[in-house]
Amino acid sequence: MADAYRELDSIHSMLALGHRSVRLERHSLLLIGAVGGFLSVGTDWVITKDRFPDQNEHALALLLWLTFWLAGVSLLDHWLTRRARQRRAETLPFAQAQITRAWWMLLSVGTLSSFAMFFYGGGEMIYALWIVLLGLGIYLFGLFSRPLVEWIGIATILLGVLALAAKLPFGATRWLNASCFAIGIPLAGWLAPRVDARSWITRIGVLLVWICAVVAPALLIVKSTPVVSPSGRVLSLGSSAIPGGEQTLRLEPGTRLPLQIDLDGAILTTQPQPALALTLMLPVDLALQDGQPEGRYRLGDGVWRAMHDGGPRLVIDAIKIHMDGSKPEIRVHARLSDRSLSAVRP
Amino acid sequence: MTSKLPTLDPLLHQPARTQIVAFLSGRGEASFTDLKLALEVTDGNLGAHLGKLVEAGLVESHEACAGSRAQTVFSLTPAGRAALKQYVAHLSALMNIGTRKGAKVPALARLNPKS
Repeated sequence: MADAYRELDSIHSMLALGHRSVRLERHSLLLIGAVGGFLSVGTDWVITKDRFPDQNEHALALLLWLTFWLAGVSLLDHWLTRRARQRRAETLPFAQAQITRAWWMLLSVGTLSSFAMFFYGGGEMIYALWIVLLGLGIYLFGLFSRPLVEWIGIATILLGVLALAAKLPFGATRWLNASCFAIGIPLAGWLAPRVDARSWITRIGVLLVWICAVVAPALLIVKSTPVVSPSGRVLSLGSSAIPGGEQTLRLEPGTRLPLQIDLDGAILTTQPQPALALTLMLPVDLALQDGQPEGRYRLGDGVWRAMHDGGPRLVIDAIKIHMDGSKPEIRVHARLSDRSLSAVRP
Repeated sequence: MTSKLPTLDPLLHQPARTQIVAFLSGRGEASFTDLKLALEVTDGNLGAHLGKLVEAGLVESHEACAGSRAQTVFSLTPAGRAALKQYVAHLSALMNIGTRKGAKVPALARLNPKS
């Protein structure tokens, strides 16, 4: 009886070992981690609106940039992996070959989504999406590799979802994405074989260590690089002459601000250009450089933020055509929102 | 109460060979080095067991092109897959007999597998 149990147990172990035979090489972990981290941090500094003022060119430049790096690193990794396996006279398991293809598909989805967001919106959640896609990729590998990798995949997906749910600032999601790639992937590869045969409690502990190691650097970077509040005088809207240099312009609640609408397209045009009269509901501080807004702003008593780091967004919820008597009228409902609003007390 | 004991396949009733077949069943195909790493056995031992499995038609080998040199890759044949399935079924049946109240279960050691 004991022999039969032992033998079935042995067969089960070997079957599991055969099924979970996917192993990522060290170079794969480092290459994907380094390139993913670099793209997270560097893309917004290389592919800028200043370099590509036209939206179509901007989108195309981003598509080419991401394709170049991600396709390049994927091909290089594939070639290095095959070479390493050949040198060691090992084969690439069938499952690994298939998962690698699925991983490439996930990278393609991320690249195409980054491109498509220029035209369909949703750009503020791009890094959260990349974190979720990375988590899916890790989870897929984990299914045919070590259980801890599977858990880390799920944790990564949850990190991406939580980053969105918690309305983390755009800059924070960028650093979190960079950390998931650059620290998370190599660390997962290093930890997984070391806790393979350990108890569930140990694995949970290691998973918590992994989460801390990924989240803490991202949060530390965000905390240690706050947007600096502008120096110089605080001016009110009634100030007669705005001097040169750096100042803060304070707009009080109730201030009327015209919103110039520049609608472009084949169906309608805004000629003559109309202006909507908006009324501020919160005090707003704008940083000025030589009399012109330079990108920093503050809502209420909140912290100073930069426009390029996910500023206010105008979200159009609905466009309807309504008949006002015998005349058709276009009715648009939009919201001007800002992620920092939840932290502001009006 | 008597129970008819299932007969275990003598070829598979050897730990290393069972492990080879089970590993190949899970992985699909594997090189000699893959098997050696998984089973943690010596070259000679593995070679001898693989030889017996290939001879019996449970495992097949083919040359795969791996860069500049060819690599021998082993995989299970349909007969090998069926043999493993049957072997596991027989082991399970033995365990079921053993757990039945009052049943006399001879030790597996008495089956005297040929190695």
